[in-house]
Amino acid sequence: MGALTDPRGYWDDLTATEQWVTAAIGLIVLGLVLLLLTGILSPSYFLFLFGLAGMYALLSFGLNSQWGFTGLINFSVAAFFGLGAYGAALMTGSNSPIAGGYDPVFGVVVALVLAAVVAVAIGIPTLRLRTDYLAIATLGLAEVVRLIVRHESQWTNGSAGIRGIPTFFASWPVLGTFPDVMPGLEIELVPGSPIVLGYSFWQQSLNVALLLVFLGGSFAVLRRAQRSPWGRLLRTIRSDEDLAKALGKNTYSYKMQAFVLGSLIMALAGVFYAHLNLFVDPGRLDPITTFYVWVAVILGGSGSNRGALLGGFVVVAIREGSRALNDVSWLPIEGAPIRLLAIGLLIILVMRFRPQGILPPQRELIWPSAVDDAAPSRPDRGVREAKGGGSDD
Amino acid sequence: MSLIEYAANGLVYSSIIVLGSIGLSLIYSIAGFANFAHGDTMTVGAYATLVAFGVVGSVGFSVLGLPIGFFLALLIGLAVAAAVAIVTEKLVYEPLDIGSIGLLITSIGVAFVYRALIQLGFGADSIRYDVGFVQPIEALLPYGIRMTQHDVAIVVSAAVLVAGLHTLLQHTDLGRKMRAMADNPDLARASGIRTGRVKRWSWIIGAGLAGAGGAFLGLFNVLEPRMGFSVLLVIFAAVILGGIGSVYGAMLGGFVIGMVVEMMPLLTDVGIPIGIKYANAVAFLIMVAVLLVRPTGIAGQAIGGEGV
Repeated sequence: MGALTDPRGYWDDLTATEQWVTAAIGLIVLGLVLLLLTGILSPSYFLFLFGLAGMYALLSFGLNSQWGFTGLINFSVAAFFGLGAYGAALMTGSNSPIAGGYDPVFGVVVALVLAAVVAVAIGIPTLRLRTDYLAIATLGLAEVVRLIVRHESQWTNGSAGIRGIPTFFASWPVLGTFPDVMPGLEIELVPGSPIVLGYSFWQQSLNVALLLVFLGGSFAVLRRAQRSPWGRLLRTIRSDEDLAKALGKNTYSYKMQAFVLGSLIMALAGVFYAHLNLFVDPGRLDPITTFYVWVAVILGGSGSNRGALLGGFVVVAIREGSRALNDVSWLPIEGAPIRLLAIGLLIILVMRFRPQGILPPQRELIWPSAVDDAAPSRPDRGVREAKGGGSDD
Repeated sequence: MSLIEYAANGLVYSSIIVLGSIGLSLIYSIAGFANFAHGDTMTVGAYATLVAFGVVGSVGFSVLGLPIGFFLALLIGLAVAAAVAIVTEKLVYEPLDIGSIGLLITSIGVAFVYRALIQLGFGADSIRYDVGFVQPIEALLPYGIRMTQHDVAIVVSAAVLVAGLHTLLQHTDLGRKMRAMADNPDLARASGIRTGRVKRWSWIIGAGLAGAGGAFLGLFNVLEPRMGFSVLLVIFAAVILGGIGSVYGAMLGGFVIGMVVEMMPLLTDVGIPIGIKYANAVAFLIMVAVLLVRPTGIAGQAIGGEGV
């Protein structure tokens, strides 16, 4: 039942929470459209924010396949994000101390290879550990990676960072010159506040297009993987690793596969960031990035890809909203501590009142055809109960 | 610089790490989760001491280059850290009905709230205690040791606190109950120990020691909102090295890790060019290595439950 062919039935089929979230998203989208039409929000800045939100969603997808589906508590998200960004930047940036000037496509390859190698290197010692030790060990190893990037300036340029990164499509035949040749448009819907669609708008459109390719690709891979026998086994490991072992599965190997897969997606987000921001520095590897992504995943609902999308957008709303506070000069407060406070309170409140997240995984865990015949009228009572199976918590 | 000088520095830094480690280990064994807010509890103690010192002022005579008012402020800072922890426990952790991983994640939120509030109140810049600058002790200089009276004060105070904790654990009723509960919470409850009360005292003692550690860290370096988080991983390394959940292991682990961090320059002296900037990295690598070889740490015993 699609949203377009049968909107009424689609709406009724949603859980109460899903209806709330859908309605809220609808309102926010409406508000954004109004802001855009009246020229208060510049379209290119909007696309930049959209790119940032999508980047967090991509990071959340990666963490989801590690934590949400396999139960690996990985606190080294920032390290893989940073490796992705540095992999791309070192291959393409103009002041890269290693290579520089290569096509961004090589950057993607190098970033992914780098992330995969480091993921295996971090995974070998840590994936055998108990969950809370795993958290501490991964956070520690991420810190080692950060210290190396920060101090080994002969390879990474140290705290000066790498600049002169080209946009992703810069050397492509048509897309490379696309933002230059597109005409600057000026639309004036509301008198006095024209909407300008200039170079930066077309550039950001290209960035968003690249992001959508990354997001769509990762989403398709994850969705397919998680509904496959492989994904079912990962969920078994999450809920009862001993059971998976008893069934004769090499759980260590499966955990490693999930860890590497998630790390690759995180590195992809880093690649996107490098070509969005055109500058990277070791600050990207600070543990705070890791915690932002955790907030996104927990808020959205561990294991739920829709939730990861939602969480990514909420995190960017907090980050950019608190940044806007800096511009309000009559307020005697700074953005950075407010941002930290908001994130902290959000973690506490979510864990207190909704530890399963806003959009916990429901249908995503079940093969679709198993649900469609017997979808209950109120799915928040649980699809499994309606099918006659007991709760398996 | 000589070996003995590095050792002297290591002793000072170890004293701070030990105070942090004990609390982390205590709370882990009694409350059952890795408390990521512990480092920021140290920051709370450091800033509370700063405020109290401003109020109390440099009253009275001075001991070891520190006015007696500083020690008074230290006690207040320790009490504030304990009070903040107990309020947090009541408001945040107690009502939660989630496993140890959920508590761990919640404690990250708590850490952010502490740090954000401190940053809102005091700004992001570093501050120093207004205790004046002291020269290294002259009598030790011939032996190649550059140690100030403040350093001696840190070591002595930490030793007093640790000795006090030892007495508490070994010779009081509360201490016996705490050990019993750390050993086996279910058995402790079944034997009629009021585990809720013991848990609360563990929070008070652990956070109080952390607060003192934070104040000493501020005296040793400077105060800044990130100071506690920066040492948190070193403290985790120390606790895991000693065996998570074991108080005496935490003391040992804290001592070893503190020494290792401060003795890093020795490696350069003998021709291994790993700068002091990698001291923390080496501490983590030691931690991971220990986890691989002996997951229960040097002094730890197997902990009941599988973590989740």
